[in-house]
Amino acid sequence: MCPVCKSARYLNPDMRFLVNPECYHKMCESCVDRRFSQGPAACPIAGCKRTLRKARFRTQTFEDIKVEREVDLRREVASVFNREEDDFETLQDYNDYLEQVENVTWNLINDIDVEDTRRKMDAYKEENRRQITRNHSNAAQEAISRKAREEEDHELTRLRRADARREDELERQEKSDARKGIINKLATTKGDAASIAREGRRAELKKSSAQRVALDKKRDGDVFAAGTENGDAGSGFTFKGLKKRVAPPPEKPYDPYGGWSAEKEYFSQQDFYDWDYLSNARTDPRHSAGGYDINDYCARALCDAFSGFGVFIEDEVSGRDLGSTPSMATTAAAAVGGERVDAKMEDVF
Amino acid sequence: MRFNIEELEVLFPYPSIYPEQYAYMCDLKRTLDAGGHCVLEMPSGTGKTVSLLSLIVAYQQVQPEKRKLIYCSRTMSEIEKALAELKALMKYRTEQLGYEEEFRGLGLTSRKNLCLHPSVKREKSGSVVDARCRSLTAGFVKEKKERGEDVEMCVYHDNLDLLEPHNLIPPGVWTFDGLLKYGESQKQCPYFTARRMMPYCNVIIYSYHYLLDPKIAERVSRELSKDCIVVFDEAHNIDNVCIESLSIDLTEDSLRKATRGVNNLDRKITEMKSTDAEKLQSEYAKLVQGLQEADEARNEDAFMSNPALPDDLLKEAVPGNIRRAEHFVAFLKRFIEYLKTRMKVLHVISETPPSFLNHLRDLTFIERKPLRFCAERLTSLVRTLELTNIEDYQPLQEVATFATLIATYETGFLLILEPFESDTATVPNPILHFTCLDAAIAIKPVFERFSSVIITSGTMSPLDMYPKMLAFSTVIQQSYTMTLARKSFLPMIVPRGTDQSRITSAFQQRNDPSVIRNYGNLLTEFCKLTPDGIVVFFPSYLYMEGIISMWQGMGILDTVWKYKLILVETPDSQETALALETYRTACNNGRGAVLLCVARGKVSEGIDFDHHYGRTVLCIGVPFQYTESRILKARLEFLRETYRIKEQEFLSFDAMRHAAQCLGRVLRGKDDYGIMVMADRRFLSKRQQLPKWIQQALDDKYADLSVDQAVSAAKAFLREMSVPWSRVEQRGVSTWDAEDLAMHKAKQEEEMIRMLEEEAQNGGGMVEVDEYGGDDLDEVMADLDA
Repeated sequence: MCPVCKSARYLNPDMRFLVNPECYHKMCESCVDRRFSQGPAACPIAGCKRTLRKARFRTQTFEDIKVEREVDLRREVASVFNREEDDFETLQDYNDYLEQVENVTWNLINDIDVEDTRRKMDAYKEENRRQITRNHSNAAQEAISRKAREEEDHELTRLRRADARREDELERQEKSDARKGIINKLATTKGDAASIAREGRRAELKKSSAQRVALDKKRDGDVFAAGTENGDAGSGFTFKGLKKRVAPPPEKPYDPYGGWSAEKEYFSQQDFYDWDYLSNARTDPRHSAGGYDINDYCARALCDAFSGFGVFIEDEVSGRDLGSTPSMATTAAAAVGGERVDAKMEDVF
Repeated sequence: MRFNIEELEVLFPYPSIYPEQYAYMCDLKRTLDAGGHCVLEMPSGTGKTVSLLSLIVAYQQVQPEKRKLIYCSRTMSEIEKALAELKALMKYRTEQLGYEEEFRGLGLTSRKNLCLHPSVKREKSGSVVDARCRSLTAGFVKEKKERGEDVEMCVYHDNLDLLEPHNLIPPGVWTFDGLLKYGESQKQCPYFTARRMMPYCNVIIYSYHYLLDPKIAERVSRELSKDCIVVFDEAHNIDNVCIESLSIDLTEDSLRKATRGVNNLDRKITEMKSTDAEKLQSEYAKLVQGLQEADEARNEDAFMSNPALPDDLLKEAVPGNIRRAEHFVAFLKRFIEYLKTRMKVLHVISETPPSFLNHLRDLTFIERKPLRFCAERLTSLVRTLELTNIEDYQPLQEVATFATLIATYETGFLLILEPFESDTATVPNPILHFTCLDAAIAIKPVFERFSSVIITSGTMSPLDMYPKMLAFSTVIQQSYTMTLARKSFLPMIVPRGTDQSRITSAFQQRNDPSVIRNYGNLLTEFCKLTPDGIVVFFPSYLYMEGIISMWQGMGILDTVWKYKLILVETPDSQETALALETYRTACNNGRGAVLLCVARGKVSEGIDFDHHYGRTVLCIGVPFQYTESRILKARLEFLRETYRIKEQEFLSFDAMRHAAQCLGRVLRGKDDYGIMVMADRRFLSKRQQLPKWIQQALDDKYADLSVDQAVSAAKAFLREMSVPWSRVEQRGVSTWDAEDLAMHKAKQEEEMIRMLEEEAQNGGGMVEVDEYGGDDLDEVMADLDA
């Protein structure tokens, strides 16, 4: 019976009851429509003066309204305290954390120091906003991957089921074929009937056992192919016994030379060189129009002049022997090539 | 009779031995020497138990370390039989050896059977006896008494504390009767005497459940050492026992009771907080340390125990969010509410534990880990609260067990929610089946812990199915045939009626009038020709009822009535017991009776129809399981995917083991005789799946008979059996005395030498043996093995 309009299920068999998480008073759908479609209004239950909105009415999940409320509170708490076991150094710390969280929840549920607890919770939320969001996204990621895995599993079982069915079908088919074959043979060939029948049966047995072995092998392969592991990343926090999370160093920009620099070592180029035959080129627009840059020319000239520095002939000479011997790989390759040639040579006819 | 197997001297309490018993003992000894597991099939009525016991006892006495024997059987009567057998054996040993060996053999059964307390023993139900006993004997009750409170206690139990803890009962073999008498005279509790003396026994005989059901095994069989020899007798159903011990069914009613239990707990906690808060605090402190420490308080009067097998649970600390008593109670409430919500669904759901856990977490924020600790946490709480009326919390315990199991195992289990009892029902009566699909889970600790596990029964064919299903490896798998001086049983397959039409109980044809008439004809004919009792097995109650009413309409029952009294088995066990008693009286008094029963019912297992109580057994139809059951379907799929056992293969194996059990009912010894009729077309193709001893006796000419042919064959057989015959004729053929045994051994040695020589000559002795072929081969092989 609806406590607001007093209509009962007897009169209206498909009556649905809704509750609002504001006060958890139960009322039927039509009452909600009637009272709250004009905007927020006070709860019609006597003694409850809370203002309710229509949008927040929903069907009750649990039979026990206390549990319903508890779960709502838990949802709230869980969205703030969402740390995982990996975040803690020892199991005991994690357990202590769990207990503290449970205490917070307990206080909220049983209306003990609600103000104080809420305040603390909010403060904590402010403090750890970043970590909370990160753990959230981690959890979401995990949920997604779990879902994917589940779907994969479903698909695999479906396939396996289909395979099994096909196998059975095939086997039955083969059996009946073999039987037909034996009968045909008995009808057409002359000879000892018993021996023909025995022969046929043996062939059938052999075939079916070979098939079974093949199928088993195939299945083994499938099993190994399937099954991927997903790891999860941990995150850090400042509770008690927290694991110190080392932030990874920021990634450097990509260096195509792999650390090798083209900095000039032995000279530095100046902006201006007082060089007679260049002064003309510097001012002549015909040169600069073609994209000719005096500085480039200077750089090249200087590089030519200094490039011999840093080359030590003795080292080069002593290193020459090493460099000149062909590497192992090349010799091996050559050997193979040679062999092949030899083989070709041998295989004259 | 005394003889040697290899170097081991065996004392056998009978003057003669059957050849298959000798072979059985030889294989047993080899298994024990090798220290592995084995599967042995020996026909019913050939003295399996006595051969087992005499060999193992002999083995124990010789071995310096004296490995303990744990003998598990299925029913109370079988356990009692085994105890009596053991007692006789030990008496014989004393006589023969001339001195009494230091030996203890005890049986264990429920409190109900072993209670001496004047008021408790009058309780009808076993669970009430258990609960009342606990409330009188629990540790905290004693503490209260010491504190000077006025509490009731059990005198019988208290007297035990006055005795030496390792010598509560003098050495010897104690049957249940003996134990009760001794307990009465000494005023000590037989149940706890047996329980506490278990570590000091040489032989323990009890039911499967004490070892397989993790809830009980944890409490009863924890202290048994690793080198025990474990025997499962009558083990053809062992996979089902394993599965049942881990499956849980929850109904709305049980959830309601569980809620009540939780509310009671809540109240108790509040009470205790106001009176004795430090107790809760000390429990809390213990739980912070981990269950290991809390576990030290655990003793035999503990109320519940943890069904999850993994050890890591005991070593780890209880998660913080269920550490406090009030938090845990709220946790349980939430879980039960969630289950109630699930029960409201009106369509069938089958889901795996991981998906259940995910949904649970999304909805109620219950994580997997605290769920795993649920059962253990509840035990601890109940112990702390010192609850006495424990039976009220049984449903709650079930829920907690369910929670622990579902959070522990990801595979091998399935949740099936059936909102309606049958397909046609409109009023929902939901049942949540949490069904175990993998028989190996429950039995795995047994195989892991004990070095030798012996699985034996009268009907275990095909033998390789058991190692596959239970996931273990064997040293020996052997099936023994029955040596008979005369052909004393006649198995027949009858696929056709007198009118040559096929008879079958296959679903499409079972209600065919011609099939029913032919079955009726079969029954009347055999009623006419069989002296004394006939037992008829149907595949199901439903089919039996249908066919009986059809027979009534056809006038078949009126004809049967002229020859035999008709009795019917019903699902009600008291009615059935009455029917059985009447049946026996009728058989004792003259023209005999016919008992119509069901192949998976109570009668088909554990009730013997020896001698004139059963001269003919008719198996009408192949007793397949009801294949539309969702639980069975799930199990079949699991078997296919995990163990590569095909659906059809398993179903047919299961049907045939039940059929073989039914057939084996009539033949309970070597001087017994009987006719076995398998009346179904489908038996033709399943001949290979019968146990070997039946297969061997099933002649080709009796393998495809019509009803009238079967009748004339049976008449001829009965005429043959009525020829006067004495046991003397068996001597040397199917029973051996000491001389025969010596001769057999000499022959065997000769054979051995000949074999070795042959092998030396052509280097391939074993290939040669193959040429014997057929049944002879197996006998030769058995002899060679021995």
